[in-house]
Amino acid sequence: MKMSIEKLLEKYYEGETSTEEEKELKRFFREENVPKDLESHAAQFGYFAAAREEYPSLTFTGALAARLDPPQQGPVRRFTSWIVQIAAGLALLLVGFAGGYVLQKGSDRSGDRVAGSADEVPRHAIKNALAFEKMASTSASERIQAVNQSYELTNVDTETTQLLINTLNFDPNINVRLAACQALVHFENEPQVNEALIHSLSIQTDPNIQILLIEALVAIREKRASEQFQQLARNGKNMEVVRLRAEQGIGELSNTHVQSL
Amino acid sequence: MDLQTFNQRILPVQGRLFRLAQMFLRNREEAEDAIQDVLLRLWTNRQQLETYQSIDALAVQMTKNLCLDRLKSHRNQKTEGGTDISEVHAKEQSPYALLESSDSSRLIHQLIGGLPEQHKLVLHLRDVEEYSFEEIEEVTGLTNANIRVILSRARQKLRESYLKASNYENEH
Repeated sequence: MKMSIEKLLEKYYEGETSTEEEKELKRFFREENVPKDLESHAAQFGYFAAAREEYPSLTFTGALAARLDPPQQGPVRRFTSWIVQIAAGLALLLVGFAGGYVLQKGSDRSGDRVAGSADEVPRHAIKNALAFEKMASTSASERIQAVNQSYELTNVDTETTQLLINTLNFDPNINVRLAACQALVHFENEPQVNEALIHSLSIQTDPNIQILLIEALVAIREKRASEQFQQLARNGKNMEVVRLRAEQGIGELSNTHVQSL
Repeated sequence: MDLQTFNQRILPVQGRLFRLAQMFLRNREEAEDAIQDVLLRLWTNRQQLETYQSIDALAVQMTKNLCLDRLKSHRNQKTEGGTDISEVHAKEQSPYALLESSDSSRLIHQLIGGLPEQHKLVLHLRDVEEYSFEEIEEVTGLTNANIRVILSRARQKLRESYLKASNYENEH
């Protein structure tokens, strides 16, 4: 036994032993009664065996596990991040397309509504803007816009024409009144409109509107207006142009009367 | 590679890495710190790990390199601090210090510390971790014959210095 150990030791120091032989040496120096002359070799084999039993402390393995788990997110997040980025990009594109599609559909539908059912939207807008009590809070351009919206109406109701007549007679802004006048001419078929235009002639003092009204009445051949025209022509307060236009209007109206006869 | 595979493949090695780091750094805390570094590095690069033939060998190599780096920077710090390297080295091996270590295992530990890096590494891998020559080749990149020579020299050197130290001990 001792002989073989000595041989093994010799081989060992030559670096020629196999792992099995080295294990045998370790076992020998750990377990057997080591002869005195071999004792000096015991220390290193003892050390090797003992060193092999060394392990990192439990607190270390715990701390490492704790560090490995959260960092798991880090790299994983980094790994997925470009996927996420692409996905986010695609999602944004989809949202954009979907939004565009929905908006387009919505506008299509509102277009359908104008063509199909009655003119709810402009009518509502006109009423909103031209309502007498709101006159103080709306601007002239807003009211003109509202008046112009009435052209979009295919058929008007008395409420809307009454609103336009009121605007024609009482709006503080001349331009709004002019717009209302033109809008009303557009609706000459409505029963109240013609009377309202004739009546308005006696109210209006602005030459622009007076002339526009005369022309409008002549254009729609409203013979009942001739009396009003004569009053205008006689009234010295009116401007020269207006009186001339009124006289001319009388002539035109009677001409058409004659022609129609 | 997910955490589970990582744990299965790498964590069993951590004892081995720890012993290697401890052999180089000769300090438990520093060794733990070093292998934590190594393991975290492996974990962050786990995507590439699959391409390596032997993750064990890679981990051992990384640990060895990291430890040597740390030793180097330690020494640099010490030199900058004004202490001579040789002085530190000498102190580590001074018979008085060795005398203090009544435990022969500790003495061996210190003596191994005095060996050249490569001798240390080969001796440790072979005699402590019981690596085969093929495994040592893989880690160190040395040829089989080279390893045998280094191993033989390291073992003889260790024996010599041990005898010297213990003689010194006995004489006093």
